[in-house]
Amino acid sequence: MKSAQRISLEEIDFSDETFSVNFRPELERLRTSIGKIGLIQPVLLRRKSRGYQIVCGFRRLWVLREFGWPDVSAILLGEETEDLQLFEISIEENLTTRGFNPVEKAIAIDKFIHRFKIEPSEVIRTYLPLLSLEPNEKILRTYLSLAQMEEEVKEYVLKEEVSRTNIRKLSTFSKEDRKVLIPFLSSLKLGESRLREILNLLDEISHRDRIRVGEIVRHPDIQGILSRGELTPSQKTERVKKVLLELRYPRLIGLERTFEKRRKDLNLPSYVSLFHSPHFEEREWRIEFRFATLEQYRQALSFLSQLAEEKKFEELIKEDSETEILGSDSFSN
Amino acid sequence: MIPFRIERIYIDEKAEKDGLTQKILQGLSHLPMERVRGKKELIKKFLSSPDPLTVGKRHLLITHDYGRRLKPCPGTTNHLCCGYYVINPMTNCPMDCSYCILQEYLNNPLLTLYTNLDDLLQEIDLFLSNQEEDFLRLGTGELSDSLALESIFPISQILIPFFAEREKGILELKTKSSTVDSLLHLHHRERTVVSWSLNPSRIIEEEERGTASLKERLEAARKCQERGYPLGFHFDPIIFDHGWEREYKETISALFKMIDPKRVVWISLGGFRYPPKLKGIVEGRFPNTQIFLGELFPGKDFKFRYLKEIRVEIYQKMVGWIQAVDPGLFVYLCMESQEVWEKVFGWAPKDNRDLNRMFERRLKAFLR
Repeated sequence: MKSAQRISLEEIDFSDETFSVNFRPELERLRTSIGKIGLIQPVLLRRKSRGYQIVCGFRRLWVLREFGWPDVSAILLGEETEDLQLFEISIEENLTTRGFNPVEKAIAIDKFIHRFKIEPSEVIRTYLPLLSLEPNEKILRTYLSLAQMEEEVKEYVLKEEVSRTNIRKLSTFSKEDRKVLIPFLSSLKLGESRLREILNLLDEISHRDRIRVGEIVRHPDIQGILSRGELTPSQKTERVKKVLLELRYPRLIGLERTFEKRRKDLNLPSYVSLFHSPHFEEREWRIEFRFATLEQYRQALSFLSQLAEEKKFEELIKEDSETEILGSDSFSN
Repeated sequence: MIPFRIERIYIDEKAEKDGLTQKILQGLSHLPMERVRGKKELIKKFLSSPDPLTVGKRHLLITHDYGRRLKPCPGTTNHLCCGYYVINPMTNCPMDCSYCILQEYLNNPLLTLYTNLDDLLQEIDLFLSNQEEDFLRLGTGELSDSLALESIFPISQILIPFFAEREKGILELKTKSSTVDSLLHLHHRERTVVSWSLNPSRIIEEEERGTASLKERLEAARKCQERGYPLGFHFDPIIFDHGWEREYKETISALFKMIDPKRVVWISLGGFRYPPKLKGIVEGRFPNTQIFLGELFPGKDFKFRYLKEIRVEIYQKMVGWIQAVDPGLFVYLCMESQEVWEKVFGWAPKDNRDLNRMFERRLKAFLR
């Protein structure tokens, strides 16, 4: 191991990020640590024709520069050392000290393929396991797509801990659509499955109607919900989802509305509930009632008995109950 | 001329001496061939490739099938099924329709031809002799397109004369191809129905890769009509999207400009439906497909279908357009509930047997 030397910070090229995979690094703890006990481990630099290139220690050097240190303890590598070898050292060093967030893993994978020209199959076999990722093409493509998305998307992915499935989904939208999407999504409260639902709804509406996501998001009902300051993000999310469902499934929602109106017209007591079959597919209805005493039970039965005589009730179930099975003899062919 | 690409042929040693195998190989002598012992390992190898469904369509396996190759159409639970039987002399299809159920259904991705034909013919004979019905409908278009592979595997040229000699069996060849020339000279005695799956040209272009155009299909149907074959047409799957009404109306109009309705034995209607697993497979293979953008929901059999109200609307309109051409045209619904039948036609078969009897009556009337 080479011994460390003092190198002036002015001689270090901070703009050269060949070996960096940093994305929005969390520096506060490092600041506290360096402020308290100084730098324990020397950084790793490579000589360049003019000055030095950072191999390991970007975050430490940024903090030292902030603190105004004139120099740093560094181990120096010669110009002849291969780029790929240095990048591997940088990755290994970071893995042992801090680990990587998903965006940093994406940047690392992207650099292996696009900067250091490693074959994708080799990246899958060697470097995905190194980054604690499953060695398969789907994972490779997921992280490459993340690396190629905009900064705002990467920040959102980190902040909201977006799953790989949703990263893949985000990558299917155009750059323009994502520009509108991220502020929209950030204004809602979305867990993993809600985010997937919202993205799928937006994607499907936009494809079906051949419109941009921006047009959907600018829908007056959605904008109305987003502008209501008294609503919590969770309430906004539920209401926005409802609008999107109405846009995506207009016929189903139309049937739901009609059913709901007819159900309300029946003035059912609070202890009786009436349901239609899922998606109105089956020709059947379901009634539930609650009771605690025998008296309440009798009351419920009496109500249900009266309900059978109600014209409005008959009308509600009529449309789906009149099918007469005549058999094929009635068929003229 | 083969309208599809085969890169390699695998011959199971069990099948290599068959006359049919030799006939297939004569036409494909320019292709690399490999002898294999059994098909298990080969299928396993293909299934582990990155895109087995696409790759499988370019590789041909010639082998034997000792299992049952004549089976009742699987149909679906809680829906009316018409009592159809499927014959499987081959599995998989060189065409590549985005909505194809075989992508999810088959566990062997290769184009597979079974050359132990005598076993199959015996199985058909035994089956026909054991049934009480006047007519039994059997088709080869369930696990493949009936005619897409005909140029290399002339199975229909064997089955058509075979059925011509039988009283009870009606063979249906269901296809999206236009390769009918080899059928035209055959003795069929109206015991073979040649039928086409139809969709508007836009759907064919966008969703039915490697198939004949609408014009080509109708031209092929016209040729068969001229040779006296009964014809069938299947609007299945019907895709409900913007402009569906105009496009399907135009398709029906194009059909009856070419075809005499009196020579059409049946027309089926079926809205697009799919088992849950199919969606992921299709979206992976055909990212631009539009087929899942309708209002599709799972039913009791877990298959996704258009909202019932939409299906009824589709069928009512389609039946109206078809029967405006000729009220005597026999139209049926594929895998639909009694309730939907009733809403569309004003009546419904009592059960599957009733629906089957309806077909028998239709065939008797048609063949009179």
